[in-house]
Amino acid sequence: MGLLFLYSASQGNIETIIKQSFFVILGLILMFALSQIDPDFYKNNALFFLILSILLILLTILFGKEVNGAKRWLDLGFFTLQPSEIVKIALPVFLAAYLYDKPLPISLLNTSISMVVIFVIVNLVRIQPDLGTSLVILIAGLYILFLAGLSWKFIGASLSILILSLPFIWNNFLEPFQRQRIITLLDPTADPYGSGWNITQSKIAIGSGGIQGKGYGSGSQAHLDFLPETETDFIFSVIAEEFGFIGACILLCIFFFIMLRCFYLAINARDRFCRLTIGGLSLLFISTIFINLSMVVGIIPVVGMPLPFISKGGSSLLSFYIAFGIIISMATHKKLMQK
Amino acid sequence: MIDLNQRTQEKKNFSNRLTVVYLFFGLLFSFFLFRTFSLQVSSYTDYELASLKNKTREILIQPRRGIIYDRNGKIIVNNKPSYNLILNPSKINNIDEHISKIQVLINISEEDILFVKENFKRKAKLNRELILKKNLSAEEIAKFETRRYKFPNTFIDERYSRESIYSGLFSHSIGYVGGLSDDNLEEILNEQNLSPKETIFKYSNGYLEGKTGLEKVYDKRLRGYFGKKIYEVDASGKLLDELEEIPARDGENLYTSLDLNSQKVAYEKIDGRRGAVVAVEIDTGAIVTYISSPSFPINKITNGMSSKEFSKLLNDKDKPFFDRAGQGRYSPASTIKPAIGLYGIENKIIDWEYTIDDPGFFILPEDKRVYRGWKKGGHGTINLMNAIIESSNTFFFSLAYNSEIEKLVEHLSNFGFGKNICMDCFIPDKGLLPDPEWKMNTLNFGWFKGDTVNMGVGQGYLSATPIQLAYYSAFLAKKGKLDRFSFIQDANPPKKDIFISNNLKDQDWDNIHNSMIGVIDNPKGTAGRLKNLKSYKVAAKSGTVELVSTETKEDYKIIRKVEGQRDHAIIIAFAPMPNPKYAISVVIENGESGGSVAGPVAIEVLNSLINSE
Repeated sequence: MGLLFLYSASQGNIETIIKQSFFVILGLILMFALSQIDPDFYKNNALFFLILSILLILLTILFGKEVNGAKRWLDLGFFTLQPSEIVKIALPVFLAAYLYDKPLPISLLNTSISMVVIFVIVNLVRIQPDLGTSLVILIAGLYILFLAGLSWKFIGASLSILILSLPFIWNNFLEPFQRQRIITLLDPTADPYGSGWNITQSKIAIGSGGIQGKGYGSGSQAHLDFLPETETDFIFSVIAEEFGFIGACILLCIFFFIMLRCFYLAINARDRFCRLTIGGLSLLFISTIFINLSMVVGIIPVVGMPLPFISKGGSSLLSFYIAFGIIISMATHKKLMQK
Repeated sequence: MIDLNQRTQEKKNFSNRLTVVYLFFGLLFSFFLFRTFSLQVSSYTDYELASLKNKTREILIQPRRGIIYDRNGKIIVNNKPSYNLILNPSKINNIDEHISKIQVLINISEEDILFVKENFKRKAKLNRELILKKNLSAEEIAKFETRRYKFPNTFIDERYSRESIYSGLFSHSIGYVGGLSDDNLEEILNEQNLSPKETIFKYSNGYLEGKTGLEKVYDKRLRGYFGKKIYEVDASGKLLDELEEIPARDGENLYTSLDLNSQKVAYEKIDGRRGAVVAVEIDTGAIVTYISSPSFPINKITNGMSSKEFSKLLNDKDKPFFDRAGQGRYSPASTIKPAIGLYGIENKIIDWEYTIDDPGFFILPEDKRVYRGWKKGGHGTINLMNAIIESSNTFFFSLAYNSEIEKLVEHLSNFGFGKNICMDCFIPDKGLLPDPEWKMNTLNFGWFKGDTVNMGVGQGYLSATPIQLAYYSAFLAKKGKLDRFSFIQDANPPKKDIFISNNLKDQDWDNIHNSMIGVIDNPKGTAGRLKNLKSYKVAAKSGTVELVSTETKEDYKIIRKVEGQRDHAIIIAFAPMPNPKYAISVVIENGESGGSVAGPVAIEVLNSLINSE
């Protein structure tokens, strides 16, 4: 289904489809393979995977391929890998493995160690720069901490500090184009042909889809280049334009169903490590969806976030297949050791 | 390791926390459903429109202006086509190769090639046309057309220029067209429910509007309606498919009452002298001849003239742009006499038997000032008929002296003095019919009896334009019932001016006509020289406008050394008698003699009108 959408979004570019199909097949194989492995394997090797992905990021920063001023990709010859997509999975798995046997409530020391790991990785991704992915990684890390039983006191304190330091972040950590995106978000109509273009056009695309949509391949917003990044960030707008409210609803429901299924799996997982991992990875998946959707309907700034399983992009696709491979593994390897 | 109790608590804790997060996302999910719903269902029409507006672009198609005809269906102003070689850059891959192929057939200047190369990329990107060469010759067109299959993305396009076939003949009547200011363009497009946009031009000069004359007065009729081409466009503004075309509606043609032949004769006879000729068809008030001289070439004004040439015209002391026929003010001089005579009869101050003794001058009783006639020694005992034929000043001084100025002004107003008598002239002047109130207001002087006396011979403050004089002439011919003048009769519902008189009888008008025939045919008439220039009877009255007042002929000889001080020559006439069809007025500035200078022009124009039928 994702391929079908992508075909229209890429304006019938067969090459894109073939490439994406390759990743889908690769992803399915990977997912199947990973689902056969016992969860304990992930638990025991989590640190190794994390270090491996960190090394990949460092390599990217040093030797990465520069696209649009960002070094996010590592050229592997047959395809370009985006290591930040891998660390996105590795970090929550590692944190779950690190925290699963720690007593409750989690001590300040363990919290601090986890936080340090999260911030180092987040910052490594951020300097590429890849704000969107770094935010997702941050969120994924925090989910695990939260689910693992982070004390409410600590959460309260952190939130207060975060809110107080917002002006400082605004002035020191954000690139001018990122600031512009936030300003645009607050009032996209102020400059509809400048930085507000993307959001305005995206809304027009979604809105003009109506109930039934304009039909597959007939979205004028997408096909006449009014909509930017139709293959990646704004693919939901294309779907909404061509398939209308009905199509958008079906897609949202599929995502919602996956969401509920993950909730059930997490609650009934065999041990704490699995609970944390399923919970963290599924929340990562859901967050990515909602960040993307919020972006295309103009609720949050444009951050560059693909729609899982649908947008073009090998690394992102593979990372979610990996995530679901792991989730399936944990859901299927149940009764080996009921502690 | 954690114990069992703690594990249960941990599991519960985990479930609670996960539930909180999932509840949050559940809410978010509902919110997205709602948001998508509001965009796609509630605000569907707004976004549908926005999307439609996004992907379509309207391009205007300029209409052609109407053609202007003379009364015999001869074209006066036309749209002259010129042919340009046009490229379609978006479908041409190698422009250099393409041009060199065309160059084998048609010579293209370096300048044109440079222009094409500079604009090629941009036009190709937007899918717009590009002009390779303007104004192709017939030979070039033929060469290209026979081999056009070789050049699939190149074609010949027609563009027009507004041209008069007779560039100097209709400069003041038809006028000229010129470029359009942005404000005017917006106004015109608003009238047609359009907004300024990219336009496919039919004219090489782009947007046009009438600037003067009938081109201006009937601009709306001539203009036509813009058409539209609606294209699908992409985000960069590149034209994709043409979705719809609403063709432009060309302007209406204009069928004027102007007579090409008489225009030519008038123009020829006035021969560049400063002056004007206006002739009308009496029964309809249709203007058939309208010449102001000197003239200027309208084609060059419209289609380009060097600034040097233009400033030469602008600074010419003869003022060629000035429309003397409609805006030049001249004293009617002796041509006023028939109207003054009718005033005397109407108000029973005199009758046809009434005579005075004309010693050659009139002394105003109030201040003993002397008013002279043109003939030394005077005309002796003279009645109204002869006073018109011989143009006795004394008779009319005396008659005016016995008039009441208010009544006289009202009387003259009937003949068109001091009012606009043309329904579609371009900025017509009303001339000046002075009365005591006017003099007090503008000159801050009271009205003297002498002012009234002067008015009796058409001198002093009284002034009229040549078209007003033609109206006056036609009014006399039609015995006080006349349609207002116009160039285009079907555009203006006829408006009749009727002179309501108490005492004038048909015989009185006939007597006036006969006296005016006598001006030419009577041996004593002031325009006797015109007698043999025609084969029918003409009623006329000549006039000589004194610009500098002189006591004697010797004095005049001194002042006439300066051309600008010489008298203006004026004549009004109507013919053929006794059933006049045409009335005319001719003014020749500094021409000195109404009868012998303006007269022949009037007769020749009348000949051209009457003999052609």
